[in-house]
Order: sequence, then structure tokens, then C-alpha cells
Amino acid sequence: MDFLSKIIELFSTEKYMDSIWEGLKLTLTISILAALLGLVLGVIVALVGMAKDSWAMKLPKLLCKIYITIIRGTPMALQLFIMAYVIFAIRGFPLVITATIAFGVNSGAYVAENIRAGILSVDIGQTEAGRALGLTGATTMAKIVIPQAIKNVIPAIGNELIALIKETSIVSMIGMYDLTMAAKIIGSGNNMASYIVPMAVVALFYLAIVYLLTFGIKLIEKRLRAGDKR
Amino acid sequence: MISVKNIYKDFGKLRVLDGVSCDIKDGERVVIIGPSGSGKSTMLRCMNLLEEPTYGEVWIENDLLTAPDPYLHFDVIRKSKTYSSLMKSAKAAAPGKSEEELDTEIIAKIKKEDLLKRFEGGEYSKALSEINKESRIDINLARRNMGMVFQHFNLFNNMTVLQNLTLAPLELKLKTKEEAEKTAMELLARIGLEDKANEYPSRLSGGQKQRVAIVRALAMNPKVMLFDEPTSALDPEMVGEVLELMKDLANEGMTMVVVTHEMGFAREVADRVIFMCEGKIAEEGTPDEIFSNPQNPRTKQFLDSIL
Repeated sequence: MDFLSKIIELFSTEKYMDSIWEGLKLTLTISILAALLGLVLGVIVALVGMAKDSWAMKLPKLLCKIYITIIRGTPMALQLFIMAYVIFAIRGFPLVITATIAFGVNSGAYVAENIRAGILSVDIGQTEAGRALGLTGATTMAKIVIPQAIKNVIPAIGNELIALIKETSIVSMIGMYDLTMAAKIIGSGNNMASYIVPMAVVALFYLAIVYLLTFGIKLIEKRLRAGDKR
Repeated sequence: MISVKNIYKDFGKLRVLDGVSCDIKDGERVVIIGPSGSGKSTMLRCMNLLEEPTYGEVWIENDLLTAPDPYLHFDVIRKSKTYSSLMKSAKAAAPGKSEEELDTEIIAKIKKEDLLKRFEGGEYSKALSEINKESRIDINLARRNMGMVFQHFNLFNNMTVLQNLTLAPLELKLKTKEEAEKTAMELLARIGLEDKANEYPSRLSGGQKQRVAIVRALAMNPKVMLFDEPTSALDPEMVGEVLELMKDLANEGMTMVVVTHEMGFAREVADRVIFMCEGKIAEEGTPDEIFSNPQNPRTKQFLDSIL
């Protein structure tokens, strides 16, 4: 009964609810902005990485390779610290932007690899048929390969978005007030003096967000696959 | 129509084409046969540059598709530094010989030992870019005139049958939407598949897919059709309908190059049969000569093993 009364206490105390909303807003802001940045970066890096070898593309391709290797090879928390305490260590620089860039840049590397895998999953024969008709490489890519690749990429990108949302919880490490931080503060000795209730409630918030996202992705996937059987 | 000049194709260390030359004349039906791994598909794919030859040239009428191969142009070789230094030392070594004699010898030596380097001086580069400027054609332009049919059909899975047929004419702005769709429907009517116009390829049988793939190529009004084992991936009962359509095309006078294992088709339709083996043309002739009286023991062996 103690647990139930604590839940009621949490939901009925205005300052606790304000904390949670505040945290939720920040978590969603960083997630959405970082996801957009990650998608844009990912598409660019994937296309550059897959471009034909040529003299002009050598340096960009190398940079993309280094980017993916470093981002995927180092911990997210460390990347966040470097962004916050080294690269954007400027007094008054908004932390939201720092975090967005850190997570966006991180996500971009994974999205790039997902897109690359999706494009490679389209049979090379599709490209050959397009080129044999006299279409340019770019037209073949845009009209034939990418529409087919998207279907294969959506589930992987969905996974990446889910991982990204949950990973934003580490922004509390650079002192930002997100959903996880809210739970920690509400549970501390000055407030409810019990962690279990706020933690459980916040866990439900994360679950709800991820569930909604999963549902949306399934819907998109279903609509894209409809063309297969028509 | 198509001229393949001394092409070599290396995949890494593996030499798949080992100096192949052939001319496809206007209206000619050429069938290429040979054991698997003999390079016949690679040669066909070199004709429209889906595979880029390592050495050698491919010409379509008066247009050069590949980069010019210096070894095929003696006057280019003569402008190289290697040639002039060899000529100098040869003259010193054998002062009695005439210039023409030395010239033939040196060119033969350069070709045989692959002596040309990347930088052979300004005159040499100028001669090469001269050929480029005069004859080289944009590959995308050249491919419009060459229909290609693949073993695995390669219909665009994300498009309906009709869109498959109209994509290239529309994207290349060769026809208006109405014209392209009208031609496409006529072509589909020809193969009896008008009712499938709005279906996706996944709903067609193998034979239907391949026939759609053939008319997709025809929608571009090609001057020549290249077939890469068009019936090899089909169930036996569907081979007939595809061969029938190909015979129709042949009777209309379409220039065709066909890589196939269908010896009956080769015998019936081909003007010339080319037997390839180990990356070379081992034997070529009329179907009668090849099938009834093969000269090369390898041809004989191959035909015995499949007939």
C-alpha cells in the first residue's frame, strides 16, 4: 500500500509532475533534433561512402570512413563529454545544442551503415538493367535502387531511433535535466526519499515513447510492403 | 554494327577474356556458345560496357565506347617515348636495316611485352585524346541503341509492368507520357500481356517476366539486342515462349547477339555461331559448320557433352 500511496503522491504533487514534464520535453527535444541530424548526416555519409572511386572523391570517402570508425569505436558518453567539455566548452553555449549535435553525429554513423546495407541489399541486376537502358547512375539510383532500399532500411533505422531515444538518458552526466534526471531528483532525500516510484514511472514514459515509435514504424513498413503483393 | 577489338578482361588475377575480336554485322544473328566460365557472358557484357574491358576497344558503328587502347593504334605507339628510345638504340645496333623493318619489329616488341607506360610524353597523350575527342561517345547515349536481356530478367520490382516499359523513354525524354504508354501497350499486346500492364513483376511467371524484359528493351527502339542466357533461369515449360519471341525478332531482321545453351535455337536462327573456350574464340562459323563438322577438338568435345 505504501507503493500505491507514493504513486498517488507523485502524480498529485505539482512540483514532481512539473519535473517530469520538464524532463520529458528535454528528452524529446534532443531525440527528435538528433534523429533528424543523424538521418541527414547518415544519408550524406552513406552516399559519399558508396560513390565510385575517383580522384575527387578520395578525401571525402576517407573522411567518411574515419568518421564511422571513430564514432562506432568509442563510447557515447565519452563523445558527449568531448562535445560538452572540449569542442563546445564555451561559456553560455546552450547545452541542448551540444547534446543534439553529440547524439546526431553519433546516430549519423549508424544510420549511414544501415543505409549502406540497405542499398547493397538491392540486387545488382536492378542497377545493371537500369544502366543498360541508357539511364545515368544517378537516375538509376533515384528511381530504382533507393525506392527498393528504403523498404529494407526502415526496420534498421527504427532500431537506431529507439536506441537513440534511450541513450539520451546519459545527458544527465553533463548536468542536463532530462527524464532520467527528473526521476533521480524526485527520488532523492530532499523530495520523496524513495527511488522506486519515480524510476518506475519514468520507465513507463520511456516504454510508451518507444512503443509508439515501434507502432509508427510497423505502419510505415506495412504500407511500403503493400506494393510487393499488389 | 558492333566491333570488338582485341579485348582482354581481368578480374583480379583471373584472365576471363584473353584477346577476343569479333565483328557483328548489321542484321546479323550471332549465337555465342561455350562451356561455363569460357567468358561468353563477359564478352557480351563488354559490348555495352556493363563490364569494362581491361584492354582493347569496343566500337558501335563509328563510335568508340571504351577508352582508346594505345596498342591498337600504331601511330599512337610511334609517338611514345618508349618507341623513340627503342628506335634510337635499334638504329645504333643495326645500322643496315631499313626504317620500316625496324618500325615493324619495335611495334611488335612493344605490343608483345606490354612496354607502354602511363606517361609517354605530350605527343602521345595528345594523340590519345585526339582519338577520344573524335570517336568516343557517352556510354549512356550508346546504350540507348543496345537492348540487353538478362538471365534473371531484372525487371524493376518497385514498378508495374507498364512503368517498367515507360521508365527509360520518359526519363530520357524521348517520348511524351502518352506516346510511351501507347508504345508500351502495343508491345505488351504483342506478347499477349496487356492485361498485366498494372501488375507488379512479382505476380508474373518466369516466362512472362522474361518476355516483358525483352519488350522493355524494345521500347527503346534499339538497333541491336544482346541476350545473356535468356532462358537459363526458366522452368523448362517456359523456355518455348521466350525462344518464340526471340525468333520473331530475328525474323524481323533485328541484329542479335545471343549467349545461350539452346542449341536448337542456335541451329535454327543463327547466321553465325561462335564457340568460346578459356576466354578465346576457339571456333566460329555457320551453324552447319559448327554443329555438323566442328574442326576444333574442344568444340567437338563440348558439343558431344551437351547434345
